Amino acid sequence: MLNLEQKRKTQLQTRYLPLSGAATDGCSPSPNRTTDTAPTAGRCAWKVKKVRKLLFRRMLVGVSDGRFFLGMLYCIDKQGNIILQDAVEYRSTRRCSPSPMEQRGLGLILIPFSCRTSCHVDCTIEEQLSLLSLKK
Amino acid sequence: MAEKGGVAGGRDVYVPINPSIPSGEQTVWADVSSLLEATCQDLRDGELIHGENFNLFAAMSALEIMDPKMDSGMVCRYYSVDEAIENGAAPVPLSFNRTVDVQCTIDIMDHLLACEATWHKGHSLAQTVFSCIYLLRLDRTSSHALLHSYCRIIRATCNAVVSVVSDARTHEEEDLFTMTYAPSSKKRVLEDIEPLQTDLDLEEGYCKALLCRLRFRKHFYHVLTCMRRPQGKGLELARKHIASCLSELDCILKSSEFVRGNPACGNCGDGIEDRTTASGCQPIGFDASLNSRLSAPTPPRSIRILGWKKAIEYFQKLLHDLDIICSYSLDPSLEGVLHFVVEFQKFQPDLVARAHLQLLLVQDGKLYGRDPVFAVISKAAALPDITKNHDLQKNETVIQLGQLVISLLKILCTNAAWQRRKLGKILQDWRVIYVQLELAFRKEFADISSSSIDENVCMKISKHILIWVEEQTYWIASRFLVLGFELELYSPHEYCMVYWYIYVILIKLAEKTHLKMLKSNDTVKRKGKKKRDSPKDVARDYQIPPKVLFLQCHIYLAEGLTMMLAALKNEHKVFQSLGPFNTEHERFFQHFELLQKACIPDNISYVSFEESTMHARLSTLVMYNCFKDAQRIAKDLRSSFSNDPDRMAELRRIEQVAEHNGVALNLICRLGTLDPSLKVYFEFSHHPCFATAVVKRS
Repeated sequence: MLNLEQKRKTQLQTRYLPLSGAATDGCSPSPNRTTDTAPTAGRCAWKVKKVRKLLFRRMLVGVSDGRFFLGMLYCIDKQGNIILQDAVEYRSTRRCSPSPMEQRGLGLILIPFSCRTSCHVDCTIEEQLSLLSLKK
Repeated sequence: MAEKGGVAGGRDVYVPINPSIPSGEQTVWADVSSLLEATCQDLRDGELIHGENFNLFAAMSALEIMDPKMDSGMVCRYYSVDEAIENGAAPVPLSFNRTVDVQCTIDIMDHLLACEATWHKGHSLAQTVFSCIYLLRLDRTSSHALLHSYCRIIRATCNAVVSVVSDARTHEEEDLFTMTYAPSSKKRVLEDIEPLQTDLDLEEGYCKALLCRLRFRKHFYHVLTCMRRPQGKGLELARKHIASCLSELDCILKSSEFVRGNPACGNCGDGIEDRTTASGCQPIGFDASLNSRLSAPTPPRSIRILGWKKAIEYFQKLLHDLDIICSYSLDPSLEGVLHFVVEFQKFQPDLVARAHLQLLLVQDGKLYGRDPVFAVISKAAALPDITKNHDLQKNETVIQLGQLVISLLKILCTNAAWQRRKLGKILQDWRVIYVQLELAFRKEFADISSSSIDENVCMKISKHILIWVEEQTYWIASRFLVLGFELELYSPHEYCMVYWYIYVILIKLAEKTHLKMLKSNDTVKRKGKKKRDSPKDVARDYQIPPKVLFLQCHIYLAEGLTMMLAALKNEHKVFQSLGPFNTEHERFFQHFELLQKACIPDNISYVSFEESTMHARLSTLVMYNCFKDAQRIAKDLRSSFSNDPDRMAELRRIEQVAEHNGVALNLICRLGTLDPSLKVYFEFSHHPCFATAVVKRS
C-alpha cells in the first residue's frame, strides 16, 4: 500500500526523473541506475512495455469485500497498488447468490495491493492471447 | 461469466466476474493479475508505471479503497438495506410481545428526534435521520400504524427543512446534506382502537408517551409549513403551533420517568446522558453504514448523535428562535429590519431558524415578498414622493443597488464567521456602487432635464441616495468590526487599534446619519412652511436627534477605550503589541485590509492611527473623560427610547461600561506608576464588544 511514507519517498525519487514517456523502455528509471542493473532493465523492458500498453485502458479490479471498481488504469507501483481514473464502484446488494448491482462514481481511486483480489483488462481476444503469454 | 483468476499474493483465488459489468463491444475481460505481479517484481522501489500526463500531486489525493477513514462504501455488516431487512435488522412488528413492541417504538421515535437534532447541527442526513432502516423502506411499516405515521411525518419534516435551507442557500455555510425524497405530507390517522399492549396497568403511561411524541411531530410540521407561507401570512398560526410544540416537549420530558421505570425496558439506563432515547435503551433498526454511500464520494465522518436530553433542548431553543421570528412585526423600514436581524443574531440561532428568517425577509426579490426593493430604498433614503413613479428605478445601477440591499439582508442571516467574511467582501461593492450612482445620476438627469421634474428635485434625489449609500456602507463596516469581537479575532494587544477603527467608522456613520436626517427633516419642513425659515432658524431650533446621540455614546466609548489603551501603552508599557512574528503595522493591515482596500473611510491609514494615539496620556484623559460623556448622554437618552426595550438594554450596558471604565481610569491615574503587583486587564462582562477595564492586585 502506498502509505504516506512511501508516497513521500516516491515523490523524492520521481522528482528528478524524466517522465516515463521520455524513457525508452517505458518505466521510470531509478535515479542511481548503474551499469550492473542493465540485465534488470533488459528484463523490465518487455513486461513493462506490455503493462504500459494497458495504461488508460478500462480495468476491472475486484477487492476483498466483494466490490468491483471499473476505471482507467492511471498508475501502478512496485508494490502492486493501482490508481484508477474515473472509477465506478459496483457492489452487489446481497452477500451470496447473484444479485442486482448498485453503482456509483468515485473518480480517482487508489486500490492497495493488499485488498485486491482480481484484476482484468478490457481487450480483444487477440490481445488477450498475447497478454496471457508471459514469455517474451 | 466466471473466470479463474490469476495468482494473487501467491494463492489461487476464484474470482467471479459479474455479468452485469460488461466488457466493451467484441472485447473480453482478460485477467492481467499475473502479468502485473511479474512486472511489479521487476520494478525497483519507488518506480511507477504511468502515462505522460501523470501528476503525483493528483495521485496522492486519490480516494483509498478499503481505508475506513476514506472509503465510505466499505461493506460492513450488510451489503444492502434489503439484506439487512432479510436478516431481521428492522422487524415489523418490532416484537410479538405488544408491550415490548410499544416500548421499542418509543425508542425509535426518541432516537429519530436525536438524529434530527444532530442533522440540524450540521451532520449529513444520511448518517443521522436516514440511518433508520424503517425510514428507508417506508412501505414495510404500513401494518404498524404508530411507526408508520411517525416515519412518514419525519420524512415530510425533513423535506420541509431541506427545502427551507436549500432555498435560503445558507447551506453552503454548513454541511447540511440535502437529499430528495418524494414528499409525503399527509399524516396517517390512527384508527387502531385495540390496546397498545397487553398489560392494562401500563396503558395510560404508554398512551401519554406516544401521544405527546406524535403531537409534537404534527405541530412541528405545521410550524414549518406555516412559516413558509408567502408574505409572513402564516406567522400568527405558526406561533400557536410553536406553543403546542413546546408543551408537548415538556410532556415528552416528563414521560421519561414512566418509560425508564417500566419492566419492559429492562435495565439499560446507565450513562443516561449519552443515550439517545428516554428509556436509555438502544433503538432497533438503525445502521448508519448502510446509507453512508449516499453521502459519498466524500470520506465518511465519524459523528456522534446528540443525547436525548440535548436533542430536546435543541428543539426548545429552535422553537424559541422561531417564535422570535414569528412575533416580528414585518417592519417596513430597512433600518428596522437591520436592527431586528442584528438583535436576533445575538441569540445565536442555528441554521434552520436563520434560514427561515432569511426566507421571510427576502421573497421573490422583495422585502417580505411584499415591498419592492426600490420602495424600501426610497423610504430608507427619505426620497421625495415624486420618485415613486420615476423612471429612476429602471436605471441599471439603481437595480444593482437593490440587489446589494437584498444580498446584504441575506448575508446578515448567516452565521457570524460567514457573515463577517461576506460583509467584508461586499463593502467593496457598496463603495463601487457609490461611484457608479454618482455617474449614473449625472447622466440620467442630463437626459431628462427637459421633462417635468425640475433640476432641484433631481439633485435632491441623487444627494439623498448617495448619502444613504454612504451611511449604509459605514453601517456594514461597523458590523464587520464588531463581529470580530464575537468571533474572538482580536487579542488584547490589538484592542487599541480595533477601538480606534471602530471610533473612526462610527464618527462617519453618525455624520452620514445626521446628514440624512437633516435632509429628510428639511423636506418635511419645506412641505409645511414654504421656505419661510431661513437656514439659520433651522440651525437654532435643531436638536441632535436621539438616534445620532445613541451613536455618539458608542463613539465616546470607543474613543475612551482607544485612548485609555494607548495611554497605558505609552506610559506603562502594557498592552504593547510586541509579537515575535509580525509588527503592529502588519497586524493593522491584516485586520483592516478589506476596509483599507475599499477606502473606508478615505485617507485613513496606520499612520493616522499612530498619530492619534502616540500622545495619549492618562492625566489628560482624566480631564477630558469620554466615559463620563458617554454615561451622561446615555442617561439623557433613556426617555427617548423608553418604548424600545432593545435600545434601553443597550443604554444600560453603555452606562455600565462607561462607569466602570471611568472609575478604573481614575484609579490608574491616581496610582501614578503601576507597581508590578498591579494588573490591568480587560473583560467583556458588561458589553459584548466594549471591554471593561479591571484593575487588580495579584
